[in-house]
Parts: sequence; C-alpha cells; structure tokens
Amino acid sequence: MNNRLVINYTPGPTMLHRLTGFTKVFLFIAMTVAIIATYDIRILIPLFLINLAEMISMKPNYKPIVIMFAITFVTVTLLGNVMLFLVSPDVGFNNIGVTNMLWQGSGRLYLTKEFLWYCLVIFVKRTASFASVMAFALATTPSEFASGLNKVGLPYKVCTIVSLAYRTIPDIANDFINIRNSMMMRGVELSKKASLWKRLKNTVLILVPLIFTAFGKVGNIANAMDLRGYGKHRKRTWYAEHETSKWDTIIRILAVILLAAAVYYIIRYRIIDPWPARIWCPWADPNEIVSVNQIDTVFFMKWFKK
Amino acid sequence: MANKSFGQKLLGVWNTRTIVTVAIGAALFGVLMNYGGIPVFTNTSLTTAMIVPVVVGAMYGPLPAFVAAGVGNVIADLIGGWGLWFDWSVGNAVAALFVGLLPIYGAYITDGVFEVKHAVIYAICCVIGNAVAFGVVTPILTAVFYGSDLNVTFLQAIAASLGNIAVEVVIGIPILFILAKRYKSRSNLEEDE
Repeated sequence: MNNRLVINYTPGPTMLHRLTGFTKVFLFIAMTVAIIATYDIRILIPLFLINLAEMISMKPNYKPIVIMFAITFVTVTLLGNVMLFLVSPDVGFNNIGVTNMLWQGSGRLYLTKEFLWYCLVIFVKRTASFASVMAFALATTPSEFASGLNKVGLPYKVCTIVSLAYRTIPDIANDFINIRNSMMMRGVELSKKASLWKRLKNTVLILVPLIFTAFGKVGNIANAMDLRGYGKHRKRTWYAEHETSKWDTIIRILAVILLAAAVYYIIRYRIIDPWPARIWCPWADPNEIVSVNQIDTVFFMKWFKK
Repeated sequence: MANKSFGQKLLGVWNTRTIVTVAIGAALFGVLMNYGGIPVFTNTSLTTAMIVPVVVGAMYGPLPAFVAAGVGNVIADLIGGWGLWFDWSVGNAVAALFVGLLPIYGAYITDGVFEVKHAVIYAICCVIGNAVAFGVVTPILTAVFYGSDLNVTFLQAIAASLGNIAVEVVIGIPILFILAKRYKSRSNLEEDE
C-alpha cells in the first residue's frame, strides 16, 4: 500500500527539494496554467521535458511512478481512445478542421489521420500534466504545500485543512484497511462473489466504523490546536517556510517568465489571433480549415435543432 | 444546529473544530477515492468517496462539504498520481455543495433529527446536485481546459452521476439514519460553556 503513495513527509536532499514552499507552489501554478493554456504540441513537448527533467533530478523511487503511469495509460489513454473511436470518430475533424481518410469501415466506423493526431496531442497534454503533478508531489512536503498556498494568498485556515488532511491520510488509510480486513474476517463479502446490491449494503458496514473512528479524532485534534492558541491571530507564520536561497530567486524568476508567457500566449493566440481550429496540425492548411463549434458536436444538440 | 441563522447553516461556523472536521473529511475522501471503490465490472468501480461530503454536510453545512470534497479530490489526485483534473474536482465539489444541504431543510443530524421526509428531499438534492455538477460544470470545464471530446465526457459524466447517486442514496441514507440515532442518544447531555 505504501508503494502507492508518492508524497514525501520529510524534505529530500536535492536542489528542488530545498526550495521554499512558495517557490514550489508558484512554479506548479505557472506550469499548470501553461499546460492548460495550449494545445500546440510544439509547446507541450518542451513543457513535458522540463517536468521530466525536474522529476529525474530529484532521484525518486521510480516504481510507484511507473505503476501509476501504466495504470493511467491503460485506463485513460488506451481504453479512452477506443471509446472515443467508437463514440465520436469525427473528433479529429472537430478539433483540427480538415479530414484525411485512412480507413473507411461501415457507417460511423472510420479512421482519419486527424483522429490519430488528436489522440497524440491529448496524450502529450495529459502526460505533461501528469509529469508536472508528479514533480510537484515528489518535491513538496505537506507543511511546505500549506505555507506556499498561504503565501500565494489563500486564507491560512484553508492551508491548515490541506496540510492536516495530507498528514492524516496514512492514518486513515491504515484504519480503512484494518476495518475492511476485520469485516472480511467476520464474513462480510465485498468481492465479486456477492451481488452488487449486497456489496453496496456491506459497504455500509465498513463505512460506519470508518466514519466514527475518523471523525472521532476531531475532538482531540481540535482541542490540542485550541490549547496551543490556533486561530487567535489573523496571520500566522510557518515552520516550513525558510529563507530564500539563490536557487529560489532563479526559479521564481523563471516561473514568472513562464506565467507571463502563458498569459501572453492565451491573449495573443487564443483570443486576438486564434488558429482557426483548436489544435495545431502540421499538414492542415489554415485557409482550408473549417472551424467547428464544440457545443454543436454533442449528440443531444441535434434534438434541439431541426 | 436548529437555532443557527440561515447564513450560518449555509456557510458553516469556521472554528477549529470545523477546520479539523473538514480536513479529516478531505483525507477520508482521498482514501476512499483511492482504495474504497466497489468493483462493478472489470475496471469500473463505484467510488464511495461521495459519502464524505454527506457526513460533513450533515454536521456542518454545505460550504464545509464543498471544501472537503474539493480539497479531498485534489489530494486524491496528488497521491493517486493520475494528474490533476480540475474539471472533475470542481464537479465533485459542486455536487458536494448540493448533497451537503441537509441543515438547510431541517435535517439536523447532530440533534438527532433525520426523518423519512428529509431522506426524500436528500435523494432529490443528490439527483439535482449530480445533474448540475456533472451535466453542466464538468463538461464546460473539460471543454475549456483539456479539450476532451464532449460526447465522451457526457457519457462518462452520466456514468459517474448514476454511480454517485446510487452510492449517495443506497449507502448515504442508512448512514444518516445511524448517525442521527447515535447523536440522539447523546442529545440529553448539555455542553458546559
């Protein structure tokens, strides 16, 4: 079970680990904005490589990351694209605006070059997003995350929620597994041997003790926090937020540049002078592109129009 | 709960106890999202995580439920490692806002009040909440942020809402009755200020 958690609770030794929480959170926000902003594979691949380099520089334990990536790849990418192929084979045309037929099956079954390009672009976008989340999760401890969020401008009570939730996850996961195992020993069937209805009803038997043990801790924790004067002042300082080093300054400047570039990109290429279709494609001639309103592609919209 | 103003019922009272409850709720949400699936077919499972905002909402109102589900989903994504999906996080949080409305229509679980009529209103809220969250909010955000195909998103959203509604109704209502009964047996005690 512990293999499945990538999150660190103690700061690691490398340069990225030693950055302050604010730098990490800010870099992560800038990266996320940049990845969300664009569908252009010429920008997405460098962004992915930057995050990959960050991940490698931290010398992580690769096993859980590879397992997660494999699971995500099979469920989201492989199964998702098969489903996409069956449900809307015209998605390539909708997003790119031209059609080059590769294979024509019967009726709605056909494969276009653009469909494959669309799958590739979305895969790169998702993988870049995955890599940025991994890099952030590997670098950040819960307290640093909370202090960084606070410096970004979130009220500190929300930040406490984040760090406290992070901190209690292993405890609650242990409770959950213990309760499930002991319930299974008493003969509560949760596997596929029981019918779905039975499984739903049996889940109540696990959830009720889990909810009571989990929320039973609230009183103790809240009293301990109150006794130490939590919430007395409007502001608070953080243990995890240490002095900024030379690298912090450099990374912050880079993150500001990245964020500014992303905002400039959105304004310049998505609002003022957009590419006629949503996704850039090397063989699509801008003059031939038919732009499609995404809302019109939804299957039930044609019920509203004649 | 009964003697609080409407605003307090809606927004919750943000003292230390509420903060800790929301934090534990978020952690529980993350754990259930990662480990607490009920297998239905191969590769598909009903997530039981949506029970958490029901319980948090019953105790502290809809806004704490909203925060618990939102933070919980972000954390679940971070530890689960499948990438952050803000469209689904926000969708889950909006659904949580609706299922956490319990104190608004008079189901004061902490006072031991939960009757059949509350259960009916609760079930209706679950349906409306999931329809708004996964029928409107998530598809819009998906289209804007990630460029997924809207048809596939809607199919996923329908599957997710049906699963959530089933979990919230079939598991949620018995849990709410059990909670209410449990609080009722303690309700003759009074806290000394």
